[in-house]
Amino acid sequence: MPDDQLAKEIKGLVSKVIKVPEEKIDVNANIFTDLGVDSLLGVEIFAALDKKYGLDVPEDKLAEINTLNDVINIVREMLAKKGK
Amino acid sequence: MNDQDTSGYWRKRLGMDEPVPADELTKHLSWHRHLRPLFYAASSIPLRFYCPEKVLGLENLPAKPPYILAPNHLSTMDFVTVAWALGKRKEKLYTVATSFFLDQPFMGFFMKTYGNMVRIDTERDFFSALRAAARIVRAGASVFIHPEGLRSPDGNLLPFHTGVGLLAVETGVPLVPVRISGTIDVMPTGSIIIYPHPITINFGKPMEMGPYIEKKKTAQAYDVYKEVTEDLRQRIIGLSR
Repeated sequence: MPDDQLAKEIKGLVSKVIKVPEEKIDVNANIFTDLGVDSLLGVEIFAALDKKYGLDVPEDKLAEINTLNDVINIVREMLAKKGK
Repeated sequence: MNDQDTSGYWRKRLGMDEPVPADELTKHLSWHRHLRPLFYAASSIPLRFYCPEKVLGLENLPAKPPYILAPNHLSTMDFVTVAWALGKRKEKLYTVATSFFLDQPFMGFFMKTYGNMVRIDTERDFFSALRAAARIVRAGASVFIHPEGLRSPDGNLLPFHTGVGLLAVETGVPLVPVRISGTIDVMPTGSIIIYPHPITINFGKPMEMGPYIEKKKTAQAYDVYKEVTEDLRQRIIGLSR
């Protein structure tokens, strides 16, 4: 999948999970402090990614997430490992 | 099919598909528990006369474990006051604590003496605490959790952490709201002195998880956990002091 399409898809998914319109999500904004996401809602993002892409993001990766860009990079990296 | 149903991931994080070791409950018991009857007997004197404890709603507790006891948090003595109210039932009650506290000579000794402590090694990863609590519940005992995480500085309820809702929904056990009052005046944060002041422990009616589990079939899992957590908070607010 092209990178920009993947990024758009993930942004849409995150927007749906955290209930913030896509246009209000800056990919470099801190999703916890700037978008008011609590730690468990942050995990729900990965639960939704697991549902959509079959990616079981390990817990140590969860601690590395701050921005949507971080989420996109992790998904990209894990999909590459899966050979998609 | 609910395309928002993300329970699989949450259940994996909680270790719900892993078997519960046969020794899950016994492995957390330390030698300190043999001192417990003596310590609670000694505590009965101040809890009856000096800071008299009134217990309400004890009949609301489920007849048998497992359940999740979820009180507000005011003081380091909260656990003791709730456990004292439970009588023999406290032997089937566990709480999760970090090594940081359990390894402190004075505090660790009292914590292990007054209750069954499940040791976790880090505070950074909140799933390790939830996994430990889930294993206890699945092994058939009850757990004690302060949903606020921290002591309230002024007696007003702090926001609740959603983990308690996650734990209750995914394990399916009843969640018992408990209102503690007075302990902040008896032993405020930072104090090692016990002041005379009445205490009230009010056990609310258990929240059954069936309706929430049903709701999860058509909603985002997190939203249901959040709803349970908020309902719990409102129930605690509604319990008289």
